[in-house]
Amino acid sequence: MTSYLDRLIANPTSFHNAPYAQAFTLSREEIDRLHLEGARKRFSELRPGLSVLDKLAREQGVDGIGTIDDLAPLLFPHTVYKSYPISYLERSRFDKLTKWLAGLTTSDISHVDATAIETIDDWIDLLDAETDLTVQHTSGTTGKLSFVPRTKAQWRETIIHSAIIIRDWWPDRGPDILKDGMPIIIPGYRYGAGATQRGNGIQIELYAKGEENALFLYPESRFSADIASLGGRLRAAEARGEAGMLDIPPVLLERREALLELERRRPDDLRHFFSEAQRRFGGRDVYVTAMWAILYDWAEEGLKRGLKNVFGKGSVLLTGGGKKGKEMPDNWRERVLEFLGFDTIYEMYATSEQMGLSMMCEHGNYHIPPIQIPFLLDPATGKPLPRKDGLTGRYASFDLMPNTYWAGLVTGDEITLAGWEKPCACGRTGPHVIPPVRRYSEKEGGDDRIVCAGAPEAHDRALEFLAELSM
Amino acid sequence: MADDFHVPLIIRGQIIDDADISYGGRRGGVSFAAPDPAKHVARLPLRTPSSMADLYALSFEEILDFLVALGQRLDFGQNRHLQEAFRLSCLTSGLSESILRGHFQHIGDAFDRTEMRRMMERSCGIDYLEGWVDQGPGRFPGLTARTRAFGARAVHVIAGNAPIVSILTVIRNALTRSDAIIKLPSNDPLTAVALVRTMVEMDPDHPLSRHVTVAYWKGGDEQVESAIYDPRGIEKIIAWGGFDSVKHITRYLQPGIDLITQDPKLSGTIIGREAFVDEGTLAQVARRLALDIGAQNQEGCVSARVIYVESGTDEAGLERANRLGQLTFDALQRLPDTLSTPHKAFDTALKAEIEGIRLNEEDYRIFGGRSNEGAVIVSQDNYPVDFSRTLACRVGNIVPIDSTETAVRAVNAYTQTIGIFPESLKGELRDRLAFQGAQRIVSLGGAATMQHNMERQDAIEPVRRMVKWVTEEQASGEMLAALAG
Repeated sequence: MTSYLDRLIANPTSFHNAPYAQAFTLSREEIDRLHLEGARKRFSELRPGLSVLDKLAREQGVDGIGTIDDLAPLLFPHTVYKSYPISYLERSRFDKLTKWLAGLTTSDISHVDATAIETIDDWIDLLDAETDLTVQHTSGTTGKLSFVPRTKAQWRETIIHSAIIIRDWWPDRGPDILKDGMPIIIPGYRYGAGATQRGNGIQIELYAKGEENALFLYPESRFSADIASLGGRLRAAEARGEAGMLDIPPVLLERREALLELERRRPDDLRHFFSEAQRRFGGRDVYVTAMWAILYDWAEEGLKRGLKNVFGKGSVLLTGGGKKGKEMPDNWRERVLEFLGFDTIYEMYATSEQMGLSMMCEHGNYHIPPIQIPFLLDPATGKPLPRKDGLTGRYASFDLMPNTYWAGLVTGDEITLAGWEKPCACGRTGPHVIPPVRRYSEKEGGDDRIVCAGAPEAHDRALEFLAELSM
Repeated sequence: MADDFHVPLIIRGQIIDDADISYGGRRGGVSFAAPDPAKHVARLPLRTPSSMADLYALSFEEILDFLVALGQRLDFGQNRHLQEAFRLSCLTSGLSESILRGHFQHIGDAFDRTEMRRMMERSCGIDYLEGWVDQGPGRFPGLTARTRAFGARAVHVIAGNAPIVSILTVIRNALTRSDAIIKLPSNDPLTAVALVRTMVEMDPDHPLSRHVTVAYWKGGDEQVESAIYDPRGIEKIIAWGGFDSVKHITRYLQPGIDLITQDPKLSGTIIGREAFVDEGTLAQVARRLALDIGAQNQEGCVSARVIYVESGTDEAGLERANRLGQLTFDALQRLPDTLSTPHKAFDTALKAEIEGIRLNEEDYRIFGGRSNEGAVIVSQDNYPVDFSRTLACRVGNIVPIDSTETAVRAVNAYTQTIGIFPESLKGELRDRLAFQGAQRIVSLGGAATMQHNMERQDAIEPVRRMVKWVTEEQASGEMLAALAG
């Protein structure tokens, strides 16, 4: 027991392949110790190499972590990983974007010459080729892309970590995918640098043990960062009037066309995906991963074709993300399971900037691993609330696993935390999130108040399609 | 939980105060109870157009008499309906109590006889409201024509960010001899109720009381809206604000219904290089700019958000822009509390955006924005912040430019007001700004503090469009018969 804890304190990143169930047997004192010592370690190690963190620490007047609450003012607003101006993209100033990113990672990228780069995809490929980073971008449907400077090693650790969770989370149920292998089925893109594509190659290697054991909805296509950025860029251009519209590069408009082409081809791609799923993997135990909203679409399409119980009973599903504002019937979960044909589900609550995942237990609570330091902030003042069960506030957390960038973030989610004083009914120790998880932005916009200030946004069919694809 | 407020339904002089439905979880944690609109929806529209006739028994002067008397009863110190509306608005509005108090204390002023007469003279012409006006000679010899402006049956989907919207709606409806169904906004459901309730207390059978209905239903309620937005009962819809509220309505548009929208808009500022001639001028510009950003807590469509400044974009230019940013932020903090205060519900998403770019020193300089005090963000390049559409709660974005050309080209159809310094620049740019889409061009500082002719808001003429322009023509019978060959 002690050695498990000491190992995590000495090297928090080692949690990625540590036995997972044991993490939820630690006592409150042990968790507190890991949090405090881990925070001190990360702050002192990362501050000198991260200019943005150093600036925040100076702004906040924090020089060291005395108590765990001293970490709270050092958590980044979630906007930090998209704090570059969109004008960098419009003017193809990828040299400046590189310099901006350099302030957010201790990986040395100063040798990268991005002056000739014109698209985000090319910039990401350049960083892939010349640095130890494999940058991950967000889907961008609400505006701008965030860029998270995750390293190649961290991606591999993340994929191993998911496999350990699948093995250990449900006692005596989870397959050991790393050891035994498992076909993987993903109703999405094979390539790309979004959160849901970056791990594909590693999953094929470590889980499927080869391309022949993997099936994607778009097996040849890349989820393009340039396309994902379209929405935010068109909006920014519109806000600048005629000047902005004239500045939209032709390459971007071409990609918009490509997106519409993809939309036209989607029925064919879907048909192919279903027939392959049945032909090659029907009745077999497989690993499936996708967000709920995507799964629901897929399941409805399948059920419409008369497909039910497609995969073997020993299959597993790693998912999360909720309804994402999509209209779904009350029995959406049952519909998905009816289609898939198995019920071993791993449901997570996570943010794309962090490596750790909070998994849902049999009582419906999300358990925060001890390697993550959760905070509830008062939504009005931003001050941390005490570690007491049943309090509700803005969720913020720090993930100790990443060792090259600052993985402490304030989210836009309102949650309730418990487990500090009394463990969950499932027996796991440590803090857990009691659903529902609610977005503050949805809460504030949830009534029909009418004001005269604002500007309607362009409604673009390509962008709507993109929003659906990238959930 | 008992509801804090009651929002009655008032149908043509009859007050229905049942608390059938509770609408909870509104902004500011407010809940209110209102009658079930489904029970009464059939009675909301005026199905018999002939019932408009009673309005024509009144002269324009008699209508003014009634409105002036109404204005006298809208004394905030005495009128408990207004006091109740104020109490609710203090919870739901983006305006602070001190600003709202000023609005409510001056509600009666809007009922000034001279100003109401001027407004109608400018928009319709009182002779057109009062009778048939000869149209002079036309293309066909012997053909004469007379035109009169008639009131219409209309639904008003009003905005709730300031009480003036309710006031204008009631006044315009009466002066045009129209029939109104006012759909109340959840962020200010009681101001229109207070006005109409006071009318009913004056005289429930007066034709002006008999031609106004106020109701709350949740925007998008199909059962209610499909019954109301029907050309058999209404002729026009006047919709303010929100994209969503207009989107609901477009489902019911069909020939026979005229939609007049006061779309959501944003406003901005253009400041010429003359601002930097000396310290005194710069200080005055900063104070006037603070007014355009901060007055009414930046809750209005007229409030300045992105400010283009011809400071230059070289190092010295950025320094000038940053200096203006500092002075403007200081002036913002000193605005009188009847005009502007720290925002009581600072937008948390905007706060996160500000905190994100605060760590990007290379591209942005930020004055303020620590708590709810407001902020001035100075871009260090000639681009606005990427979240410029969401600037609110007294946050302005100064954008340094080398030439006002950049500012002119940034104006589009969603630009409401542009405050300009100096006056000479206004004269120089006004035609071009109009080509781009600008709708009101004012002296810097005057965007949100005063307004001359609100009946032309958004460069449309909502009052003129509220009425029906009916023409009567006359030609000699012999001439017409001759056409038959």
